[in-house]
Formats: sequence, structure tokens, C-alpha cells
Amino acid sequence: MSDLPAVEIRKLSKSFSGVEVLRDIDLTVNKGEVVSVLGSSGSGKSTMLRCINWLEEPDSGSVFIAGQRIGYNSDKQRPMTNREMAATRARTGMVFQSFNLWPHLTVSQNVAISPIKVKGMPKAQARDLATQLLEKVGLGDKAEVYPFTLSGGQKQRVAIARALAMSPEVMLFDEPTSALDPERVGEVLQVMRDLSGEGYTMVVVTHEMEFARMVSDQVVFLDKGLIIEKAPPEIFFTNPASERVRRFLDRQD
Amino acid sequence: MTEKAWMLLLEGAWVTLWISGLASAMGLVIGLAIALLRTARIPVVDQILAVYVSLARATPLVTLVLFLFLAAPTLGLSLDRYAVAIVALTINTSAFNAEIWRTAFLNFPRDQQEAALASGMTPATMFANIMLPQMIITSLPGLVNEMTFLLKSSPAIAIIGLVDLTRVTNRISAVTYEPLPPILAAALIYMVIISVLLKLQSLAEKMAGRLAM
Amino acid sequence: MSEWSIVWEARSTILSGLWLTCWLFTASILGAFMLGCLMLYLLERGGALAWLLRGFINTMRALPFLVLAYLLYYGLSQLGLRMNAVTAGLLAMIIYHGAYFAEILRGSRLVLPPGSIEAAQAHGFMPGSIFLHIILPQLLLRTRPLIGNQLIYALKDTSFLAIITVQELTAAANAVQATYFIPMPAFVVVILLYWAITACLELAVSKAGIFGKARGFENV
Repeated sequence: MSDLPAVEIRKLSKSFSGVEVLRDIDLTVNKGEVVSVLGSSGSGKSTMLRCINWLEEPDSGSVFIAGQRIGYNSDKQRPMTNREMAATRARTGMVFQSFNLWPHLTVSQNVAISPIKVKGMPKAQARDLATQLLEKVGLGDKAEVYPFTLSGGQKQRVAIARALAMSPEVMLFDEPTSALDPERVGEVLQVMRDLSGEGYTMVVVTHEMEFARMVSDQVVFLDKGLIIEKAPPEIFFTNPASERVRRFLDRQD
Repeated sequence: MTEKAWMLLLEGAWVTLWISGLASAMGLVIGLAIALLRTARIPVVDQILAVYVSLARATPLVTLVLFLFLAAPTLGLSLDRYAVAIVALTINTSAFNAEIWRTAFLNFPRDQQEAALASGMTPATMFANIMLPQMIITSLPGLVNEMTFLLKSSPAIAIIGLVDLTRVTNRISAVTYEPLPPILAAALIYMVIISVLLKLQSLAEKMAGRLAM
Repeated sequence: MSEWSIVWEARSTILSGLWLTCWLFTASILGAFMLGCLMLYLLERGGALAWLLRGFINTMRALPFLVLAYLLYYGLSQLGLRMNAVTAGLLAMIIYHGAYFAEILRGSRLVLPPGSIEAAQAHGFMPGSIFLHIILPQLLLRTRPLIGNQLIYALKDTSFLAIITVQELTAAANAVQATYFIPMPAFVVVILLYWAITACLELAVSKAGIFGKARGFENV
């Protein structure tokens, strides 16, 4: 284990058809840190997250996952091949707003397939890993069912187990509770809280103020594609530097 | 109808079934290959395939069978009647299947692909493990429907003298001078075969419906 | 290139085949369409007749077109009902594709929201009038792509009539190649003609979409 930051974003910019959604973003996420990313909708926070694993290709700037640049092969001075890209992405885990489970696979297969197909893990070992991770998210009894039988909260917990199965350097959460019924939000946040307790590095795009306040080490606030505030939660929520954040926080209560 | 007549009918049904079945099987694979090549959007190749699909869909099977049968020798190809029939049916059905596969590919949920890429799969691994299994399930009702259509157009092979389930009725009535019974009997056999396919199709629809949930 | 000029010399054969194909196609889809609407109306009324019609439609859907053509052309002669090949072919086209049109409309009828019909009943429309002015127009707007496909199937099915000796376009290609021994150019020309007719049909069907679009039907 090196001491390199888990994620380092340098000078990241991105526009969609002429509209700038990210401008010169710099952000460092250290190992074991939980960073919450806040901002109103359209602020660019999801785009920033999706640039970290290159699901969205930025126009300029670079992203490093534990010291390795993504999207560009620095040794050979050329864009990454599909295979290099996949290998780098495998070092991140992502949890999506709409779960994106694979409906043709059982819950256990959803968790086990990437270790088997990407890492070449033996099937029996991957199955054991899936069992163990499903226990961890409280779904040990659902291993053999298909995703359509699960509630939203359960689906999202499976998605978390699926991302954990690759033992990623960093877990990326893209509004993981936004698509859930209100009574299902708690179970997912609890799993995330447990992960932070175990020392996982996490970047969480969220609207859950309570979670950001209680769990994160850093809170980042995006507005119109710029990071306008970056502070530990104690400061961010009580004494933010910018007027824009103050107004945002006022509206939340 | 004599026992002999029934035997002849069953022989005709067998010709219909194995020729359509073989062409269907090859058409499934070739259709998938065409669909995949087209999604790669290679210049020129894509246009050629698009024209192929459009022409093959617009050409009546009777015309195509006759064309291949008569034109193949002028190109120095010696194909027997059965080979001509199978090639013609395959050309026809592969064009329709290509469109079914392509629709499944183009409509595949983007977010499932993202989840696969995010977990470190290469595009090839993703295609084999995440996309193809689901594309097969969602395309199955359409593919079985196309098999039904192929079976219903298969009597086109009669035009080059192959004795299938339709044409065999002529053979029988040439002896008995009673065309009506063999035609009705052939109709009955077609109905049995096609109702089996329709049953398969509704099963396939149930499976696809489960996946959509 | 001389083979191609022979096709040009023999153009009258091909054109007469083309004419017969177009004529058979047009007459049969008009007839089939009216038959399909009539069957839908009778299905709407229910009762024993509707039950019989369902059986008839399902039978047609399970049969190759050529079997029906054989039945009318060869089969009925045993009962003393003799038709020439063109009449038998036309009749077979109308009956067969009429059943398919009926099935397309019936499928759409099953999912038609009842609101507009109830509104018409509340306004005092008679059942026949509701069918003609409220139900049928909506079904036609909704089923445009399926009807378009059926038109193309119908066009292609006219070629089966070559097997019962109708001198349509495919038979014309065969006649030209048999006389001059030029299978390649004769069939290439004929296949391109089928392709052109199909393209025109597809264009017409897609242009017809403006009727639906103007009424907000294209996204239902």
C-alpha cells in the first residue's frame, strides 16, 4: 500500500455541447477519506464523479487513481486501449442512482461475475466472496433470487456489494439514495456508514445533509462547475466561507 | 385419403421442416453477425450491409429461389435444388433477423453497460456476459415470430420443383384426381407445426416480460 | 452489356408482368382492407359469428399463403367450382390478407382506451356509427407501421401466384430468361423493381404518419 492519494483530480474541465459543466476542478481524496459532494442539480457534481472512472471523458485535465492516470497511458504517451481502461476502472467501484443491476443474473451472480470475468478469480472463491459481501450488506438470504424481486433499498445494497467485490481503491457513489422510497433510504445509508467505519475511501455525491455531516471527512460544494467550498463538515455546516453555500444550507432546513 | 397419401404428406412435411429449420438456424447466426458488424459502423461495409438487408427484405422468396437456381450456374456455381432452397431461405431470414438483433442491441439499457464498464469489464467481456444473454431473451419472441414467417413462405421452394408439404398435394392429386383432401390435410399439418411455434413464442414473451421487470 | 440490351428488347414481357403484379396487389389490398374492417366490425358485435371469425383468422395465420391459393385454384375444382388462375389468386390474396388486417386491427382494438367510445355513446351515437367514426379511425392511426409491413408482405405474396401459373412479374422474369437464356439480368431487373415498389410503399406509409402526428398519435 502506497501513500499516494486514492483519487487525484487535476484541472478537470468538461462541456456538453458548448455548455461548461466543469471548470478547472482540482480535488484530492486521501486513502480512507470520505468526501461528500454537494450542490444543487446541474452543478456538475455527477459529471465530476463520472469523470473519475472515465464514464464521462473530460475535455481537459487528468485523474489519477492511486497514482495511476486513467484514460491516458503515460508510459506510452497515448490514449488507453479498452483493456488498459478496463483494468484501471477495475480499481474503482461505482454505485449508481438507479442501481443498474444486471437483470439476467441472480443477486449472487451480479456480485461474483466481475471478479470471475475481470480478475480471473476461481468461481468457487468468487461465490464465497459474494456470500460474504451479501452478508455484510444484510442480504445473505437473497443470494439466489433475481433482482426484480428486490425492493429499491435491497437492490442498492446488492449494487454496493457488487462494487465492493472488486476490492476497489475508492468507492464512487452517485446519488445512491435519490431513487429510493423515503423509508428505504436509511438501510442504504447505514451500509455506507459501516463502510466508512471500516476505512473505505469513498466519494459520495448526495443530497443527504445528515450523512454528509455525520460521516464525511471533507465536504465539497460545487456550483456551476466550480468547487466553491471545500471544508471539514464541522466548518462547512456551521461557518461556511461563501454566501452561496449559506443560502444552500438555509434552503435545506 | 390412403395410407400412401399420408406417408407422402409426411415426407413433404419433413422436407419443409428440415429446410426451414436449417435455414432458420443459420439465419440466426448470420443475422447476429450482420447486426454486430452494422453496430460497428465501419464505412462502406455498413452501407453495403444496409443495402443487403433492404434488398433481401424486399425480394419475394419465390423470386429469390428461382433467381439463385437459374443464375448460379451462369456464375459457375453448381448447387443442387436443396442447396439453392437453403441458401435462399437463409438470405431472406438473416436479413429479418439482423434487424431484430440490431434493435435489441440499440435498445440495450445504457446504464447497465455503464455498470459493467465501471466494474472493469472490457467491451468484449461486457458484450458476452451482460449484453448477449439479455439480447437473446429480449429478441426471442421476434426471432420465433420470424421462424413462423419463414415456414409460411417456405412453399416458395416448390417453384424449383422441390416437393415440400404444399407441392406434395399436387403429386397426390395427380394420382387420385381428388385435390381437395390432400390440400386440407396439408393445411392441418401446417396448423399443427405453426401452433407449436406460436406456443414457443408466447413462452418466449413470458421470459422476456420477466426480464423487463 | 448485350445481355442487358436483350432485357430492354424484352421489356414488354416484363412490363406486362409488372402491370399484373401492381394491379393484383392494389386490387387485393383494397379488397383485403375492406374485408379486414368488416371482420373487425363483426368481431365487435360478438356472438357466434365473432367466434367463428376468430377461428377463421387464426387458421389463416397458421397457413402459408400458397396453401390457400392451392385450395381455391386446385381444391375447389373438385367441387365443380372452377376459376382461372388470376381470379383464384386475387380471391386468395383478399381472403388471406383480409384476415391479417383484421388481426392487426383487433390487436389494437384490445388496448384502445374505452373513454372515447363511452363519450360517443353518451352523445347518442349508434353502434355502427361509433365503429365507423370513432373506433376505426383511431385504430388506423395507431396501426400504421403494422399495416405498412402487411402491405409489403402482400406485395411479396403476389409472387407465389407464379406457381399457380399467373403471369405476374416473377413469372415474366422466368419467361424472359427461358426465351433468351439470360437469367442474371432478367432477375436483377425484376428484383430491383420489387425493391422500388417496396421503397415507394415504405415512403407512402411513413408520409402517412403526418396524419397521426398532427393528431398527437405518433408517441402512443
